[in-house]
Amino acid sequence: MNHLSSETFRENARAALADVHLRGALKNATSLFGERRKSAAASLPNWEELRNQARAIKDEVLSHLDKYLEEFVRAAESRGAKIHWARDAAEANAIICGLAAERKARVIVKSKSMTTEETHLNAALEAAGLQVVETDLGEYIIQLADEPPSHIIAPAIHKTRGQVAELFTSELGMPPTDDIAQLTSTARATLRDRFAAADVGISGVNFAIAETGTIVIVENEGNIRLTTSLPRLHIAVMGIEKVIPRFADLDVFLKLLPRSGTGQRLTTYQSFITGTKRHATDEGPDDVHILLLDNGRSRMLAHPVTRQSLACIRCGACLNACPVYQQVGGHAYGSVYPGPIGSVITPQLMGIEKASQLPYASSLCGACREVCPVKIDIPRLLLHLRGEISERKGSAAERLAFKLWARVMMSPALYKMSSLVGRVLQRVMPISRAWTSGRDLRPIESKSFHELWSDE
Amino acid sequence: MNNEARQVILDSIRGHLAASLPSEPQAFANERPSEPSLPANVCGLFKENLESVAGHCFITTDVADVLRQIITDLRVQRIAISDAPQLAEFGVLPGADDIFNFDVGITTAQAAIAETGTLVLDSSCERNRLVSVVPPVHIAIVPASRICATLADVLAILQSAPELSPVITFITGPSRTADIELTLTIGVHGPKELYVIVDEST
Repeated sequence: MNHLSSETFRENARAALADVHLRGALKNATSLFGERRKSAAASLPNWEELRNQARAIKDEVLSHLDKYLEEFVRAAESRGAKIHWARDAAEANAIICGLAAERKARVIVKSKSMTTEETHLNAALEAAGLQVVETDLGEYIIQLADEPPSHIIAPAIHKTRGQVAELFTSELGMPPTDDIAQLTSTARATLRDRFAAADVGISGVNFAIAETGTIVIVENEGNIRLTTSLPRLHIAVMGIEKVIPRFADLDVFLKLLPRSGTGQRLTTYQSFITGTKRHATDEGPDDVHILLLDNGRSRMLAHPVTRQSLACIRCGACLNACPVYQQVGGHAYGSVYPGPIGSVITPQLMGIEKASQLPYASSLCGACREVCPVKIDIPRLLLHLRGEISERKGSAAERLAFKLWARVMMSPALYKMSSLVGRVLQRVMPISRAWTSGRDLRPIESKSFHELWSDE
Repeated sequence: MNNEARQVILDSIRGHLAASLPSEPQAFANERPSEPSLPANVCGLFKENLESVAGHCFITTDVADVLRQIITDLRVQRIAISDAPQLAEFGVLPGADDIFNFDVGITTAQAAIAETGTLVLDSSCERNRLVSVVPPVHIAIVPASRICATLADVLAILQSAPELSPVITFITGPSRTADIELTLTIGVHGPKELYVIVDEST
């Protein structure tokens, strides 16, 4: 249920606007995260310098991405990690299903990973006959409900405790309750059992360090630590843009990411994983595999404007700041990546024809750019994508209209005449409904500025 | 191994970068931000920051005594320990199958960060990975001399080792979630309680 399409954003948004409960939940979530981000950022006097530094590091990586990826792979392999490359989602899923089959795995535990949401890995694993269990509490809830995440860092913010309780009652046989602590401990107990049974653990990656071959994963719950420690095999899935040059660069990114996401100084846990364990008797999985996914990312390098989309560290701050997201929530975008950054990434990943409404799901107010920890100029990206869309599928009539408009604006005589014609036409015919359905059009004054000036 | 995919992706990266318009002049300054100054008392700052995220902190010169007191107050029987020699008298080293059957896990920590109240556990120094995350209570002992002021200091120390440890874990307070109605709930997958004993005797 609730798997909406990006191409029906307008209808999705209209339905979301009618959902009073959803809007209340969104208001609470986005304002709370927004406030926390603001005070966390204010607590660091060098916040602006950190943002600049983070972006400079990302720009450096992206303009030499091949070199940094090869450096990362060499370092990780030299420490015993196995590396896989996947051109697209199907290839990534096939590799992971293959690794699971090789080990005759039956149960797979997963920690939160937007990248595997993007590839729809769970469906592929289930089709291969495997049991897949999401272990992040929010992801677990939406997996039970068979829904996509609605926020990058809080996947189940659209659900009330009552809805979660109903779900746990029907799916887990839990006695009805609306006590959040009890719901949480039921999830803990149920998932403990799955952790104990799991053959494979699959995680995402927040940062991959070229210099040392280390992957860094951040979290609050502890499920990532369990996912990467208990099963015999750990598979980490990362987009190719996740690489950063140096270990010391973590100082910048570990300051920016938690503060921008949840407003914490640091999330509760950071796991730094460098290759495999040294001795067979050590704790942890026997093998660590890292899968590098392209799936449309390398294409984004082709233009300096689109390239900056790859600087995103998935903090979710732009969602909370966006007046459109605040009203319609994540599902309306019909993509695993919602909000301003989703409107930018989704058309580039999926193909612009599959998400051509998303670059318009913005008032270009710039709030997203203000909060972005790596200073991605999202409004500029949205305009760039709008330009591409209108080049592809703008109507001939629209092009003609803008040509005419340009002619009129370049000639004082034509301009004078147009305002006269406009005044008359506005009375007799309705102007473009697409424009006026969402906003008021001010009536054109009976006298133009020129006329008022000459009357004086 | 899928060498073909590797080649195609790297070629695609190189091709798209080569075809790209030149980047805009470097707009973002990659200068190390000036560090805000921290109070000289790193122990006190560590304690304050750990307590602000619901962790308990004791600063003492008699670790064994404080540890015994905590265990007595918790009224727990089943205690798991890491293989740090100083912990041997306090519990048992769990096997791979019985790690889920303990009330408390005790480890040491190899370093700490004062500005965030963070413990740093290095898996190459100690068998600490499961004992510190599976039982509902985690007690950690950290020498006062190992508390660094900042995150950058700890990163530099970690990297100065001849080889980076296979797993390093940062821990800042007990496990938490706010995934249901944004309500903070302590102890979801990891420990519900975290006790840190700062050892001032060393």
